[in-house]
Amino acid sequence: MDILAHLPHRAPLLLVDRLLEREPGLRVVAEKLVTAGEPFFQGHPAGRAQVPGPLLLEMLAQAGGFLEAGTLHGASIFLAGVRDARFHAPAFPGDRLRLEVAAEGAFAGLMRLQGTASCEGRDLCTATLLVKRL
Amino acid sequence: MSDLKLRVKEMIIERLKLEGLAPDQIEDQAPLFGDGLGLDSIDALELVLGIEQVFGVKIEDEAAGMKAFKSVQALTDFIAEHAKA
Repeated sequence: MDILAHLPHRAPLLLVDRLLEREPGLRVVAEKLVTAGEPFFQGHPAGRAQVPGPLLLEMLAQAGGFLEAGTLHGASIFLAGVRDARFHAPAFPGDRLRLEVAAEGAFAGLMRLQGTASCEGRDLCTATLLVKRL
Repeated sequence: MSDLKLRVKEMIIERLKLEGLAPDQIEDQAPLFGDGLGLDSIDALELVLGIEQVFGVKIEDEAAGMKAFKSVQALTDFIAEHAKA
């Protein structure tokens, strides 16, 4: 699966590196390797950089883009809502994040996803996302 | 109030977290969207999923949604009509 052919996002906004599993309309597992050079680590106290929580939600939303069967080029994806977001532990430089999203249902162009970002079997962030294709 | 209509109102309150609202405060004929309860498209999705889980009735598309979401009465009738016996 060619990530760049599917998602319109580009560096540094593109936050998905690899797809591990994909069942369009149902479930996606993607991966993001967080490197020390990420632009969002700039400005953190020395030695205490962590991935900002909202970017974990963005990673899950981008992984959710692969639930769509067709390419998202030319489309505009709108994050319409976030519910029950929990940040259980921080993500650090060097972490290999597993981004798992499952579709719960859709109506009138709006889709509800259940997302979990984890690292080495430990949940870092869980949330319900509402995504709309404009 | 019919038993089904009460359950529909309780489902709406629970799914949309309309805390503080009692079932008898929701008018049977009031529109769910726009001027009535003032719900939006996210609420519509929550209701679609709630109706499927609680009553086993699928709202397949926007046309069906337009019909079902006219009012609590319309939604109750829609569920009664489509629920499996």
